[in-house]
Amino acid sequence: MTPWAYIPQLFSAGITIGAIYALVGLGFVTIARASQIINFAQGEFVMLGAMITFFLLKGGGLPYPLAALVAVILVVIIGFLLHITVLYPLRKASIPILLMATLGASIFISNTTALVFGTLPRTLPAFLGNQPLQIGGIFIVPQSLFVLGATFLLLISLYLLSHRTLLGKAMEASSTDPLGADLLGISRNLMVFLAFGVSAGMGAIAGIFITPIFYTSYHAGTLIGLKGFVAAVLGGWGKNSGAILGGFVLGVVESLSIAFIPSGYKDAVAFVILLLILYFRPKGILGSPFIDSRRW
Amino acid sequence: MVDTNQKEFRKRDLLYVVPLWLLSLILPDPHLDHLRKESRFRRRDLFYLGGLLLLPLMWPDTHLHHLMVLAGINAILALGLSLFLGYAGQISLGHAAFFGIGVYTTAILTTRYGFPTFVAFWASALVSAALAYLIGKPILKLKGYFLALATLGFGEIFLVIVRESHSLTGGVIGIFGIPWFSLAGFSFDTYLKQYYLTWGVLIGLLLFSKNLIRSKIGRAFLAVATSEDAASTVGIKVAQIKLGAFVIGAAFAGFAGSLFACVMSTANPETFGLNLSVLIIMMVILGGMGNLYGPIAGAIFLTWLVDILGKYQEYSLPIYGLILILLLISFPDGIGTRLNIRLIYLISYFGRKKRREKAEL
Repeated sequence: MTPWAYIPQLFSAGITIGAIYALVGLGFVTIARASQIINFAQGEFVMLGAMITFFLLKGGGLPYPLAALVAVILVVIIGFLLHITVLYPLRKASIPILLMATLGASIFISNTTALVFGTLPRTLPAFLGNQPLQIGGIFIVPQSLFVLGATFLLLISLYLLSHRTLLGKAMEASSTDPLGADLLGISRNLMVFLAFGVSAGMGAIAGIFITPIFYTSYHAGTLIGLKGFVAAVLGGWGKNSGAILGGFVLGVVESLSIAFIPSGYKDAVAFVILLLILYFRPKGILGSPFIDSRRW
Repeated sequence: MVDTNQKEFRKRDLLYVVPLWLLSLILPDPHLDHLRKESRFRRRDLFYLGGLLLLPLMWPDTHLHHLMVLAGINAILALGLSLFLGYAGQISLGHAAFFGIGVYTTAILTTRYGFPTFVAFWASALVSAALAYLIGKPILKLKGYFLALATLGFGEIFLVIVRESHSLTGGVIGIFGIPWFSLAGFSFDTYLKQYYLTWGVLIGLLLFSKNLIRSKIGRAFLAVATSEDAASTVGIKVAQIKLGAFVIGAAFAGFAGSLFACVMSTANPETFGLNLSVLIIMMVILGGMGNLYGPIAGAIFLTWLVDILGKYQEYSLPIYGLILILLLISFPDGIGTRLNIRLIYLISYFGRKKRREKAEL
């Protein structure tokens, strides 16, 4: 069989993983829209969501939806804690310090998870069984459809949050002009705090939806987080739609690459794309509201 | 740079006053710096040098020697990065990749082609610098987080290539049996000899950096770090200066990598991941950016810390992450800087007053 025969199948797999990159990328964008911080611990939220759900399900014996809900709430609390304990004290620090602090938090979270939950890779049961559906010549796991549905719902609710509520406007304002927002009585720290909660929750949901298809383990978060960031930059840094588009493009390209190059090089594909996009079009496919004005 | 309200004495400073009092005697005096002739060899340098020479002889403990060898290698890495991060003000999360390139160049040249280690030592730096030139040329137009991300991407690509090209690098298994460093028939085969080798190289590179910082190029680094726009208006070619700092940092990493290969006699891709890049940046930040002795102190401190934490096995990495965060929160501009400002100011106030008066005469 030529590699071309696999392409539809790989394409559908790429869409699924792309949805996850999109969700993680959205998490990055949410925080960046409220402040200039880039939270490199974002991938850990994905891993934590899946890990906590697994242990509530297996150890606590909670029903699946309840376990998932509790896990999301716990991860949101962890996100809040991350802001209060690490980023709030460093709110006036320079970029290298913030970068190192979030990377340090990422090391701490992933290795504490290994300590508490063990180092074995874990998986969650699929929501509706593992019987693949056959559509045309492609096999699709039902879980993929759930992943796509969740991405779509989260995107809509995030859009409504940022464009249709006062809170979203306030977040946007504190990002665009911190001083002006302060003068209008918008607490910048509160906005960043809330953004951390929202992005942690999105990460946790992404983790819970993806884990039935891909295993998760304590160190899986870093790479997913980085690729989510690549997705957000690829689509257009600072735009929700950019993160979604970038996530799907990245997922599909990465998945299709398996057909043509040795699979060991798969993880490098995302970073090669990153270097190319940063070199030729740093503002991403859809353009970025941040890059030109702030000269990042 | 020094914020005036940082000079105030706070009650919680008492917590670390006592153990650090001795340190305050040998740390540089921030208020004398601008009065001192820069090129003069100072008493403090003699103190450091004597301490370095005598340290392994006073403690004949092989573990300590090995630790100091690693600290020296890390210090070379941190020194190179400090030119890029501390002086030119750019972030690189891919510095470990240049270290890896140095290690693999030495490993491949010595084991496959039988080159002497001394030749491989220079070749490593050259290959690292050449690659840094090729990589840096396109990506150094980025700034801040995006530069960090791009260099991180380069580091990850390097790791994947090393893991996958089995015929050249031995894949995940790596390369074994790299010979000891030898020069004119003298082989550095014990930890004690390696200690003097590593720190000798470090002192050479330190002198090079000190002169570099005082040269036109070094002043340009500082100008670029302060404001790229202002630097370009006075005729500094910002892109070239950044590229220069990047290439010099990479060459330092190449030297460090070569020494590392000769000391450990193995090359393994797991050594050059993101964790090493994070560690090097932490050394520079904790030592204090824009200071050449800082990264060396930071390297010794963090190498020692990692070694101590290694004893706690599975608890080591969580504690490590926690300590990194705590150090960043309490000393965001470097341990030395904070010490200079708070402690030395407090404790040796009167002594320094006399010295300052003397210097002003």
